[in-house]
Amino acid sequence: MRAVALMAICILPALFGCSGASRSREVVLHLSNWGGASDDPAFSRNIDRLYREFERENPNIKLEIESVPDEYVQKMVLSFVADSAPDVLSLDASSAAVFINNGVLKDLSPMAAADPRFRQSDFWPNVFGIDKRGKSLYAVPGDFSPIVVYYNKKLFDAAHVPYPHGRWSFKQFLKTAQRLTLRDVRGNVTQYGFNFANWMPGWIVWLWNAGGDVLSADGSMAHGTLDSDQNVETVSFLRDLVTRFKVSPNISQTEATGVDPFGNGTTAMEISGHWELPGFKTAPRLRLSDVGVTELPTQLPSMKTVMYEVGFAMPQKAKHPKESWSLIKYLSSHLYQQAYQQTGIAICARQDVATERAADPRERSFLSIVPSARGPWGAKVVGYEFVEQEGKKMMERVLSGVDPRQALRQMADRIDSYFKVR
Amino acid sequence: MKKSRLGYVFIAPATFHLLVFAIFPMVFSIFLSFFKWNLLTSDRRYIGLANYAYAFRDPLFWNALWNSTKYAVLSVPLGMAAGLAVALLVNQKLRGVTIFRTLYYIPAISSGVAISILWIYIYMPETGLINTILGILHINNKTDFLKNESLAMYALVFMSIWVGLGPRMVLFLSGLIGIPPSLYEAAELDGASKFRSFWNVTLPMLVPTTFFVMITSTIGALQVFTPVYIMTQGGPNETTDMVGYHIYVEAWSKFLIGIASAKSFVLLAVIILVSIIQFRVLKNQLGGYSST
Amino acid sequence: MKKVFSYLVMIALALFLMAPFVWMVLVSLQKSKAPIPTLDHLVPPHPAWSNYGLVLFGQPNLPVLRFFFNSVIVTFSVVLGQLFVSSLAAYGFARMRFAGRDLIFYVFLGSLMFAGPVTQLPVYLLVRSLGWLDTYAALIVPGVSSAFSVFLLRQSFMAVPAELDEAARIDGAGDFRIYGRIVMPLSGAALATCAAFNFFAVWTDFFWPLLSTNSSNMRTLEVGLSVFKTSYGSTNWPLEMTATVVVMAPLLIAFLFSQRYFTKGIMLGSIK
Repeated sequence: MRAVALMAICILPALFGCSGASRSREVVLHLSNWGGASDDPAFSRNIDRLYREFERENPNIKLEIESVPDEYVQKMVLSFVADSAPDVLSLDASSAAVFINNGVLKDLSPMAAADPRFRQSDFWPNVFGIDKRGKSLYAVPGDFSPIVVYYNKKLFDAAHVPYPHGRWSFKQFLKTAQRLTLRDVRGNVTQYGFNFANWMPGWIVWLWNAGGDVLSADGSMAHGTLDSDQNVETVSFLRDLVTRFKVSPNISQTEATGVDPFGNGTTAMEISGHWELPGFKTAPRLRLSDVGVTELPTQLPSMKTVMYEVGFAMPQKAKHPKESWSLIKYLSSHLYQQAYQQTGIAICARQDVATERAADPRERSFLSIVPSARGPWGAKVVGYEFVEQEGKKMMERVLSGVDPRQALRQMADRIDSYFKVR
Repeated sequence: MKKSRLGYVFIAPATFHLLVFAIFPMVFSIFLSFFKWNLLTSDRRYIGLANYAYAFRDPLFWNALWNSTKYAVLSVPLGMAAGLAVALLVNQKLRGVTIFRTLYYIPAISSGVAISILWIYIYMPETGLINTILGILHINNKTDFLKNESLAMYALVFMSIWVGLGPRMVLFLSGLIGIPPSLYEAAELDGASKFRSFWNVTLPMLVPTTFFVMITSTIGALQVFTPVYIMTQGGPNETTDMVGYHIYVEAWSKFLIGIASAKSFVLLAVIILVSIIQFRVLKNQLGGYSST
Repeated sequence: MKKVFSYLVMIALALFLMAPFVWMVLVSLQKSKAPIPTLDHLVPPHPAWSNYGLVLFGQPNLPVLRFFFNSVIVTFSVVLGQLFVSSLAAYGFARMRFAGRDLIFYVFLGSLMFAGPVTQLPVYLLVRSLGWLDTYAALIVPGVSSAFSVFLLRQSFMAVPAELDEAARIDGAGDFRIYGRIVMPLSGAALATCAAFNFFAVWTDFFWPLLSTNSSNMRTLEVGLSVFKTSYGSTNWPLEMTATVVVMAPLLIAFLFSQRYFTKGIMLGSIK
């Protein structure tokens, strides 16, 4: 007993002294991101090297990375409340509205305008617009990805189906998927044409490409837009892919295997973003060279897609605004972005860097899709995460037999009653 | 026991800590329940009882309360019975019984997240552990338990019994060990059967332990969060949407801090009420047993 | 006959409780990104030990050894602190009389009943204003007392016969002596139970360490390795399981070593 008490007393001073921060006269900049491991250690090493390079170029600045592997938005929100926000924060477009609309981020446009080495024209215009509100700029984009269709060239070859190219309609898509859905002698499916993932950030593109949307133009209401006839048709079509035409595995089945069907070579097409590519490199039954990229099917004259973007912002009450700005500039500079692009996880927001990879046909496909991409609702509307959760539930109901119109109406009800209290 | 001011010294550190790290946050939270605030703005508007009115009008909140009640009513008695049964089982003087006791405790030493992930696997259709066993027995192995409206709740209840088995066993064990053997001897002399002595000696002597296990299990069941968050997200069709998770969504997805705080307070009231009822019921059972 | 039956039941129960963990270890040794194995493929022909290499050493910004060290420091400090602080309070509630005793005890109980989503916000604000963010203090101090422990220990102290107290008092012992020499040693089982519950609760705590630490060298094991769970979602079970095993293994070892004290404590308690 006594020994224990003595031990405790001895540890006490150490507890209050030990900390992770450094103490010197230099400026310590905290940069937050959502961490992330990978099964590719080279990726992490690359990023690390880039950070050290920044410190070398700016000898009075020390960089501390705050990685938040989960609950990123919650932690950032709380850190703003406690006035302990990082100096530069990574901002995901899907949740940017929470910070931008509440005015906790610094408007970067004065610094950008005054800085001769920062040129807005370096960036893709539609990407740059995601974090803007009128003339104010709240984050400088780092990288982004539109949602596209991935297809497995090997499986297409084996089924003697020509690769999809250019504009195609929902019907053409369905036909292609049917031709790529193979069954064995007993009628069991051995290969699926398409993997429908119940992930609203991914399937919202179907709604858009049929002329529908989730919220009214100003983002204030769901009724009238979400429960439109077009959406009812689109949602029915998606359900039919799984339950009627059976060109897509059902979701329980997919989760039960514990693998990504496309990466596992058992599905010919999937809809996702550029971030899948590093994973394809280590996929067991897929070679990166077999992966093709094409635009989404559409009922409109030209395709629309969504893009997800990560930008860099600083708090309104930034303690070292000049240094934070230099870090933001670095993260969006040619040097950093070029090196970052090597990791292949996304397209760089700088046009010059991105087009450097146009030699690769797959990258070229991505680049050709970029102009038709629009930012997500989450960048403009606070609480959009709730909409996406309700979307997932709605689709689950539809897949289990609920009438799409009823399900969409219920979803619209829930969203609108939330918006009323917000 | 004489009345002594020294008592304050003994409880001082814990009470001080409680005030700062438990009471203060609770009061702060209740304070917030009278406001409309989303944490990031300096716009904090006092709206009186409007959040409470909203909570009482919200059908999803009532649904969550009902689900939590269902969950507690199922998992607590079953879990306690299981814990007691296992405690009785391992209380025997058998060789190697401590190995078993150790093994039974292991589920409780993992994080709730890890356990939830494991049970996602267990409940999966076809490849999950349960369906694999059903498949071997040539029974239908395609049920996706967590996506089945009528089964999902029971799936979570069953998992909670599994997880809580070890700790409850340990608690009941320490209660069992405290029963003086002389009481059993006296019962035997009176000609009581094994069952009789269990009913008239073991159970009454276990009342304090039972009381402790029941109250803490109920509180835990009514606040349950991690399994819902990881495994079902309240689905399918809100059949497993329980109050803990519901409030979390209100606070962290919808940023409705005031409403979330108001609902937390309602939950607190429910828990206090339930605990008082349990206390009264057990007090009646206490009968002749007195505690200092 | 009864013995055989008991053993059968115990073994069946052990299988029931241990099966998922065995599965977890076996899956952690499957190749990264492999699908969930069916039972006949459960035991991997070529165990992928490299998974463990990847998790433990393969990530430059995940100093797993440091995470482990932090978890150990934090957990031990909290548990020891708790045993000390909570047992003192439990003794006060169980054995002493003073105005407001029961009321204060009910407040302790009441604190167990509240779990709001914003309870961590004021603590975070406080910790921040004290300058403790990203220090061990932030990880340890808020957890150092537990109403649960107070509740459990009071229950246990009340079961220690008062006659022993009186005998000691006649010999001139004061309350501190009775607490330290009589009541505590006889409550070995309850103390061990408290230590166990709290040890594992603190070790596997996620949100508070996530909130109160920023630098990777202050992270605890649970937070540090959660990076694997969020990165892989449901499409890389082998690596996810590897990370889980890494977090659980120290717990398991600690538990196996300390369970001796549980049984010892239980025996002490029964000496009347």
